[in-house]
Amino acid sequence: MGCFCSKKAQPQGYEDPIILAAETPFTVNEVEALYELFKKLSSSITDDGLIHKEEFQLALFRNRNKRNLFADRVFDLFDIKRNGVIEFGEFVRSLGVFHPNASVEDKIAFAFKLYDLRQTGYIERDELKEMVLALLHESDLLLSDDVIEVIVDKTYSEADAKGDGRIDQEEWKEFVLKNPSLIKNITLPYLKDITLAFPSFVVTSEVEESEI
Amino acid sequence: MTRITIAKVMDSFWFKKSAPKSILTKEEQKFQEYEKSPFKDSETLNAFHIILLSEGLDLSPLFEEKKVEEKEELRFATTRPTSSVISTLEEMAAKSGNFSVKKSESRVRLQGNECGRKGKLTIEAEIFAMTPSFLVVEVKKNYGDTLEYYQFCSKELRPALKDIFWISPTDNSALCSLE
Repeated sequence: MGCFCSKKAQPQGYEDPIILAAETPFTVNEVEALYELFKKLSSSITDDGLIHKEEFQLALFRNRNKRNLFADRVFDLFDIKRNGVIEFGEFVRSLGVFHPNASVEDKIAFAFKLYDLRQTGYIERDELKEMVLALLHESDLLLSDDVIEVIVDKTYSEADAKGDGRIDQEEWKEFVLKNPSLIKNITLPYLKDITLAFPSFVVTSEVEESEI
Repeated sequence: MTRITIAKVMDSFWFKKSAPKSILTKEEQKFQEYEKSPFKDSETLNAFHIILLSEGLDLSPLFEEKKVEEKEELRFATTRPTSSVISTLEEMAAKSGNFSVKKSESRVRLQGNECGRKGKLTIEAEIFAMTPSFLVVEVKKNYGDTLEYYQFCSKELRPALKDIFWISPTDNSALCSLE
């Protein structure tokens, strides 16, 4: 890539809003608004233009040290390059799946990867149990192991249509289509109003600056 | 020349035709959708629904300003049946006299009768059945001023639910066993 930089050098992982808009459900203005949000999140602890795990935890839980299995999974999925940080491009592309206009298929696939804790390509029974235990622990709820086994068994038998002891992507898709509420968290209605929430983009919009 | 009386106006064809009987607010429309939703209420949920209760799977805080240590969503557990939870909430609303109640099989929505600082305080309680003998109830503010909501929770909601809430991890923990 050439050395043409409009103003200051962009941080690692920055991508042109026009490209991001073309490849996600966002408009260019929305991507620019997301950049305002990204700058806020990525500078909360270290101002390096990257969202670190602690900054993510801070944003999600208002507590930089709060550990959570599911937040870890989300972070890992957003960290497409797997370099331990979320860059702007990764941020926008990942949030694209959460846009109300993103396809249901993409949302279903995202949820599958979320729950496939060890990325084996299947959601194994012990992964499911581990997630249930994590939720109970997070909520400070205690259930006897008997009850947890009943819940996990029942779920597993519904979802594991082929009965081979693991849930594959196809089975997961069928399962979600029967239980659409299972992916309700993979849609963030706020994303449609992002330009209202971050109006400062109007001032810094790259499109307008050229006219100044 | 005399004016037409109110009674005659109300009786006229024009008046009766004009306004639709019920203009649903956006929230009411949303509520109706919930009631029709494929998500079958009070059915024993599956483990993935339970997992979805996690805060780590709710990215909305990235977009909303929330003060530290203030949780808008409260979660309780109970071994009482759903009907018991719903009637307790209804009794609470009736006692306070400040709310109108809308309910479905597993949701109760309380809407303040008067406008508060930021409109009518609206609270929603959603009831999840983890097993037939174990429910998780999630209460959150749908609309209105957050401070008024916290006041409501501490002064009206928690006392009303005190009898039926079984787990409070900070008090004592208890194990639920299969019946």
